[in-house]
Amino acid sequence: MRRLVPPLAVLAAAAIAALAVAVGIGSVPIPPAALWAVATGGGEPLHQTLVLELRAPRALAALAVGGLLAVAGALMQVLLRNPLADPYVLGLSGGAAVGALAAMLLGLGAALVSGAAFAGALLSTVLVFGLAHGTGSWTPTRLLLTGVVVASGWGALVTFMLAVGPTRQLPGMLYWLMGDLAYARSPWWALAALGVAVAGAVPLGRSLNILARGPLQAAVLGVAVRPLEWGIYVAASLLTAVAVTTAGSIGFVGLVVPHMLRLVLGNDQRLILPAAALAGGALLTLADVLARTLIAPEQLPVGVITAMLGVPLFLYLLHRSRG
Amino acid sequence: MAESLATEALVVDIPGRADGQPLDLAVRPGQVWGVLGPNGAGKTTLLHTLAGLRPARSGTVSLADKPLPYWRRKALARRLGVVFQERHDGFPATVLETALIGRHPYLAPWDMETAEDVALARRALARLELGGLEERLVGTLSGGERQRLSLATVLAQEPGIWLADEPTNHLDLRHQVAVMDLLAAQAVAGCGVCLCLHDINLAARWCSHILLLYPDGKACWGPADAMLVTEALEDLYGQPLVAAEADGARVFVPASRASHKP
Amino acid sequence: MSRAACAIALVLSLIPAAAVAERCVEDDAGATVCLDAPAERIVALSPGAAELLFAAGAGDRVVAAVSHADYPPEAEALPRVGSYDRLDMEAILAQRPDLVVGWISGNPTNQLERLDALDVPLYRSEPRDLPDIPATLERLGRLAGTAEEAASAAADFRAELDELAATYADREPVRVFYQIWAEPVMTVNDEQIISASIRVCGGENVFGDLERLTPRLDREAVLAADPEAIVSGGMGEADDSWLDAWRRYESLQAVQAGNLFFVPPSTLQRPTPRVLTGTAELCRKLEQARR
Repeated sequence: MRRLVPPLAVLAAAAIAALAVAVGIGSVPIPPAALWAVATGGGEPLHQTLVLELRAPRALAALAVGGLLAVAGALMQVLLRNPLADPYVLGLSGGAAVGALAAMLLGLGAALVSGAAFAGALLSTVLVFGLAHGTGSWTPTRLLLTGVVVASGWGALVTFMLAVGPTRQLPGMLYWLMGDLAYARSPWWALAALGVAVAGAVPLGRSLNILARGPLQAAVLGVAVRPLEWGIYVAASLLTAVAVTTAGSIGFVGLVVPHMLRLVLGNDQRLILPAAALAGGALLTLADVLARTLIAPEQLPVGVITAMLGVPLFLYLLHRSRG
Repeated sequence: MAESLATEALVVDIPGRADGQPLDLAVRPGQVWGVLGPNGAGKTTLLHTLAGLRPARSGTVSLADKPLPYWRRKALARRLGVVFQERHDGFPATVLETALIGRHPYLAPWDMETAEDVALARRALARLELGGLEERLVGTLSGGERQRLSLATVLAQEPGIWLADEPTNHLDLRHQVAVMDLLAAQAVAGCGVCLCLHDINLAARWCSHILLLYPDGKACWGPADAMLVTEALEDLYGQPLVAAEADGARVFVPASRASHKP
Repeated sequence: MSRAACAIALVLSLIPAAAVAERCVEDDAGATVCLDAPAERIVALSPGAAELLFAAGAGDRVVAAVSHADYPPEAEALPRVGSYDRLDMEAILAQRPDLVVGWISGNPTNQLERLDALDVPLYRSEPRDLPDIPATLERLGRLAGTAEEAASAAADFRAELDELAATYADREPVRVFYQIWAEPVMTVNDEQIISASIRVCGGENVFGDLERLTPRLDREAVLAADPEAIVSGGMGEADDSWLDAWRRYESLQAVQAGNLFFVPPSTLQRPTPRVLTGTAELCRKLEQARR
């Protein structure tokens, strides 16, 4: 246990620092004294609104969504025993996108867009589950193939909706597809899901380590392989659905954060899963700060920034680990 | 450790193959069973069935008189270890981490490996001459080192029954001997050992009991002395053999072309 | 209390009610927007909204706008609060607006909802036809306390529009293809406000019956419709290059007659008083096509 504490403490500090930065920085400068006043329950009404109504919920949502995506990505990579897996590889974001875009086409409000995205994600999960289950035989390859094909189907529907959608709605639809924390409404669901997921996954960490070495090896060492695999699938799907519902399909975090951590911390899921929650959250929170402020008052989609921050960081770690 | 792995009218489920001869045998403490047979005879499938990893077509496999499906997976894992022929190393892991997974059946979900577990794993590695490689990544090992690491993992698992699929694969002669000695020592220490082997002479040297699996589903089994006879083995492999005695063990070599019977 | 005093008290008691009633208007989403006092700090969330506010006489009350709010020239100097399709919520709130004029089909729905949730007075605008423009001017004028100027701007607009309609609407119909984009070729249907301008000028949108507001077409459809005039905007205010692409289709009546017309897009595509400038130009062009 002692081995796990230092890296997690460092990452937790990073996440808290990221939150502080996100609350402190915006397109409207707020002096530190005024921030402190708001933090202690006073301050100007404008500053209160900016910090408490806009920045804090959005920063927490970014933290939660980044964490959810990174944990879901790490789980999918173990489940499929495929380092290229990400939370979206089984078509979940496609289903969510179809739901969200359809709601936008119908001119529904933000709450209904979120609801439709969640429904789409669940529909996709059930569809892939059902199809891959099929005759009863089940392999990661079969699940992956089913997911990829279902994802292509969703992709076609998304393209169709973009093609027939009214021109003025296109920017909104595209931003949703790129992922955008401006859609985040309340962070509490996402934070709760993240907490439950990490608390539930850490005790299973050792079993996951063994599952990564193949189902036979895992079974012989006493792991209940089938229930564990379906558990991971359902958990990763729900986490991704919550993330996508909160902020659209933000790419990159779910694929690369687990790999970055593995390069530095090794591949013990008991460490990687909580570390992914913290590192993914911190990365997305910082990325969102940059998205809000880089060319303010114009706003960038956060997905652009996650990739711009993450790609060089990942390549550096990869390079260092080889040397 | 006085538990036996026994089969009762066991018919292994090999897809697309008619029922073979039902097996009624028991791997008892102190015995080393060798399973011999040509490619495709179903040795690996039998081993997986004995380990409870795949259902039998009919009949039962029992450990300590309790059929495998009634065992809790984790309790079974403390008593029965398997050395696989194929391995998926998945994500990068070190040699020590890989040996430590053998301790999984003994740990509760929240437990971390104790210093004792680590010491056990290190001893197992040292026993297989892998000491000093603890921090190496598994992917950088040679085939032989990887094979010995698999054995070290099962050694750390401390099972009463060892099932091993071609444990001497990829090993040079000295390590083949070392591995067979190790398995024989497990049997002496009270374990039951069952090995799939390709090498008749290793079987002849170290196995107390032999199971011959024929491609058509026929099978026969018994003490090694009774089973390792030239005619039975020639029939098994479809290959003329010549037997000789050397250093107290029976040795079989392929007959030269000149001595082929027409 | 004397009867006179009673009467005065009665009148006085009615004044606040009347004042409140005067500051209530219905916006294009059907919601009632009420202000306690004339708006003094207005944020415009679309270039068109900024233009409408200036036209309604409330220009000096507009404190910020989205990017590309470029007309009238004073609007260009306004602080920016993001682009119409991605609003910077912090920048909006930092202006402490007492009225925000949003754009129903252009602004992100969730961001408008967020403004509602933060109790920022929000007027949602979406003029769909030419008569909606003076009506919007009057409503914005009422909210900004510039009702008189707004009423006169609205009256001017209506008079000018009536005059254009009286001159051109009943002329011999010209079959018009209006192009809003080149790659892919896009046009508008009769629901779109550009078609209203075309109707005022006695034109007939050849693709007016299509289902979607801004349909995508292939070139064959244009060749099959064989319009008598092709009108387009372009990438800029003086870029008529889109028309050149049609010149090689000599079978088109519009090409044979030389009826390929450029109208600066911002004068025809923005639902603001300036649409009359564009409409007048369009009417002259179509008149040219009748000769």
